[in-house]
Amino acid sequence: MSARKRTLLKVIILGDSGVGKTSLMNQYVNKKFSNQYKATIGADFLTKEVQVEDRLVTMQIWDTAGQERFQSLGVAFYRGADCCVLVYDVNVMKSFDNLENWREEFLIQASPSDQDNFPFVVLGNKVDVDGGNSRVVSEKKAKAWCSSKGNIPYFETSAKEDFNVDSAFQCIAKNALKNESDEEIYLPDTIDVAGVRPPKSSVCEC
Amino acid sequence: MASSGGKDSSSPIDSNGRVGREHSNPEAISALYEDLFENDNSERPCYLPDSGQEDYSGDGDGVGDGDEDGNSPREIVQKGRGDSVVEEKGELNAANGASPEASATQMNNDSRESGSDVGTLPEDLDARSSTGNEDEIQEKDHEFNFRDRVRAESSSTERLVHLDGEMSSDRGLDGPPSPTSSQGGTSGYMAGSGSSSASTSSVSGVEIGTDQDTEGIGSRKEERGVWVPGKRHSQEDDSHPSWRRHKKHFFILSNAGKPIYSRYGDEHKLAGFSATLQAIMSFVENSGDTIHLVRAGDHQIIFLVRGPLYLVCISSTDEPFQVLKGQLELLHGQLLLILTKAVEKCFLKNSKFDMRPLLGGTDVVFSSLIHAFSWDPATFLSAYSCLPLPYVTRQAACGALQDMTDSGVLFALLMCGTKVISLVGPRKASLHPHDLLLLSNFILSSDSFRTSESFSPVCLPRYNATAFMYAYVQYLNKDTCLILLTGDPNDFFHLKECRAQIEIALRESDVLREVNNSISRGGLRIEDLPDSEDLVPPEGVSSREDRSSGDGASTSAFNSVPGAGGAAGLWHFIYRSTYLDQFVASEFSPPLNTRSAQKRLYRAFQKLHASMHDTEASGPHKMQYRRDENHVLLSWRNSDFELYAAFDPLAEKSSAIFVCNRICQWIRDVECEIFLLGATPFNW
Ligand SMILES: Nc1nc2c(ncn2[C@@H]2O[C@H](COP(=O)(O)OP(=O)(O)OP(=O)(O)O)[C@@H](O)[C@H]2O)c(=O)[nH]1
Ligand SMILES: [Mg+2]
Repeated sequence: MSARKRTLLKVIILGDSGVGKTSLMNQYVNKKFSNQYKATIGADFLTKEVQVEDRLVTMQIWDTAGQERFQSLGVAFYRGADCCVLVYDVNVMKSFDNLENWREEFLIQASPSDQDNFPFVVLGNKVDVDGGNSRVVSEKKAKAWCSSKGNIPYFETSAKEDFNVDSAFQCIAKNALKNESDEEIYLPDTIDVAGVRPPKSSVCEC
Repeated sequence: MASSGGKDSSSPIDSNGRVGREHSNPEAISALYEDLFENDNSERPCYLPDSGQEDYSGDGDGVGDGDEDGNSPREIVQKGRGDSVVEEKGELNAANGASPEASATQMNNDSRESGSDVGTLPEDLDARSSTGNEDEIQEKDHEFNFRDRVRAESSSTERLVHLDGEMSSDRGLDGPPSPTSSQGGTSGYMAGSGSSSASTSSVSGVEIGTDQDTEGIGSRKEERGVWVPGKRHSQEDDSHPSWRRHKKHFFILSNAGKPIYSRYGDEHKLAGFSATLQAIMSFVENSGDTIHLVRAGDHQIIFLVRGPLYLVCISSTDEPFQVLKGQLELLHGQLLLILTKAVEKCFLKNSKFDMRPLLGGTDVVFSSLIHAFSWDPATFLSAYSCLPLPYVTRQAACGALQDMTDSGVLFALLMCGTKVISLVGPRKASLHPHDLLLLSNFILSSDSFRTSESFSPVCLPRYNATAFMYAYVQYLNKDTCLILLTGDPNDFFHLKECRAQIEIALRESDVLREVNNSISRGGLRIEDLPDSEDLVPPEGVSSREDRSSGDGASTSAFNSVPGAGGAAGLWHFIYRSTYLDQFVASEFSPPLNTRSAQKRLYRAFQKLHASMHDTEASGPHKMQYRRDENHVLLSWRNSDFELYAAFDPLAEKSSAIFVCNRICQWIRDVECEIFLLGATPFNW
């Protein structure tokens, strides 16, 4: 193949309702932020083209709803994901505790071929709130959890102040690419002509 | 540039360089336009009362079509335009209110309650933007409420697309014969999908083309002359209003939502839209059901699941559901022809497999197939057509090919464009008409076959979808193409020799000259329909006809021609032989000399064909008679053949029926020239 092939990455964003998944995506894709909360219904889909090293990558971002009632969307949504982004709010302990559930749910539903090495990225969002004074999950605690789960990359972000958002998503794209399974081999068969064919009259050696 | 093919198994198409992306082909398949005409649905069917000469069994479908007459296409157009204005302000409420189907809920067993959503939309919009909690999930059976479950909105621009209309799932389709009216009002929102960074607009394409008559505004000019295969509007995506206005979209995506093919626009830029489609389909799949159809205003969204692949058609062309579904199946077949089912294994191992690169350079193949959906009756008749030739000539051609099948050739095929000159294969197995269609489309759409001797892996999906065979392809002259299929990837030089021998045999027996003669002569012309002074109208016809017309109108009326055309105002016909799986269509003659008239008739035949095959209740004989402002249409189906004939709208029923009998007689008289006889029957 002459031209470098364009790659499409399916990225799923998971996390409790209100932690800022939609806001992060919006900041990343549209460079916009709104203080108003609008619960995501089902899922939103956005695409963003990025350059990762020498490759042109299209990120197909699945921003899912954190509301509990949508959590049965399951398999359909997670199937074929290249990377899963887990988001929590550094000011809400429960949202951090739930990371474990989100991760497991994802692994069960998506059942990726290599469970242990599936690329996750964890984002601790809303670090801007109250100048960090209302924070209940320390960076240390978060990092410890990430390393216990196979060294998941960790970023502290603020969708509001556009802090670390780009670098987080850049890492997401990179990790997804890294995990790209060695080009699934497409091996077509040749038809098996049942009847034995007569030997060819001329066998060409060229 | 001969290559022995198949070495590089990772990408057979590329490695053989068979298929190019951009072609400008001066003698392309057809000069028919893709777009055209409105008013397609203004048919007023009227059935033959019990007086049809064959057993007549009407079915409800046609009547349903007629019921739609009230929806003036114009009105929809205007509303559609109104929508696009609204869109500029940010909130798009597509198809709402302009949907003739929204309230046309018939035979609705379940998914009832959402019918009222249409009316409550505005409040709902407000409500959801503040809390979103109105949307409680109600999961009953397979009620699928888009509004609740799969709504995606582009957060940046806050645009919403409202999809109202019906959805049919497996259950719905089993029952009533007309799926388009079988399931009622499930309505909901659908996705806004953000596009990539640069673009501000982000409405999903569900409301694509509310504008009825502007398919391919951009392509119109370029299609003025000869139709050239290849992707149009490749820079568009779902944020472009023009993309949404195309009348007929086709998509192929993986069940992970990764785009594989889109008729219009760039697949990568459509990733968000593709994800939306997957979300809809997978959601229904999760509940153990399959989604078939969504009606949204004047759009139909048809879904087809084939293993790990999803195929979707979004159309405002008013073609019947069965027809569009058949087109999706052909599209899938075309994909298999290029890659075989081996691709499915890639998804089994790795659900995030990106298949698009495997299809590099095949846009022309798909676009030309989709083009054929609008002009080649083979696509809905499941039959092929032959180049008319003197019987002895075809015999000579078959003889030349027959010799080769003894030496390892699986199938030998001589074709002229899409028409078969001769076809020879093993006794027990024969080519399915669809395989023939897909193979000839593959070859005709790829210019490189025309310029050199080629050897390419192909898969005939109906013959064996899991494996490749190899096609040796060589044009013997400008129009005549020889195709030899083998199972041996190393057979190139052997087939090259076969070709040389066949070519000699064909020249010796003057086949190629006869082919040229036939091309310049053209096919059957309605003006040439033999006079039938000697043809006595069958007993049944006149007597029953007399009864039906009440006053005993005489069949002698058929000679008074009410307009241009052939006898009794005959304009056109298609005859399909049941046993041969072959059809013959008359040449277009005045007054069918405009593209729009031809396409209108094509679509009318399509519809007629669908309704003739719709109900399982139908006996072996069936007849339909319809009159609309454009034509009188008559179809007749028995165990031997199907006949579809179009007449001047003022033609009389009695004489039309009589002319149909003359056509059948005529076909019988010339069948050894227009059909390939003695071919083995198709057995699967
Ligand atoms: N101060 C601050 N507020 C934020 C930040 N990110 C998000 N928010 C606010 O948090 C609220 C929830 O944000 P969303 O992005 O809608 O949350 P979500 O995770 O998408 O929620 P669901 O869609 O219900 O799953 C909104 O009011 C945002 O304005 C941040 O980094 N800093
Ligand atoms: Mg959200």
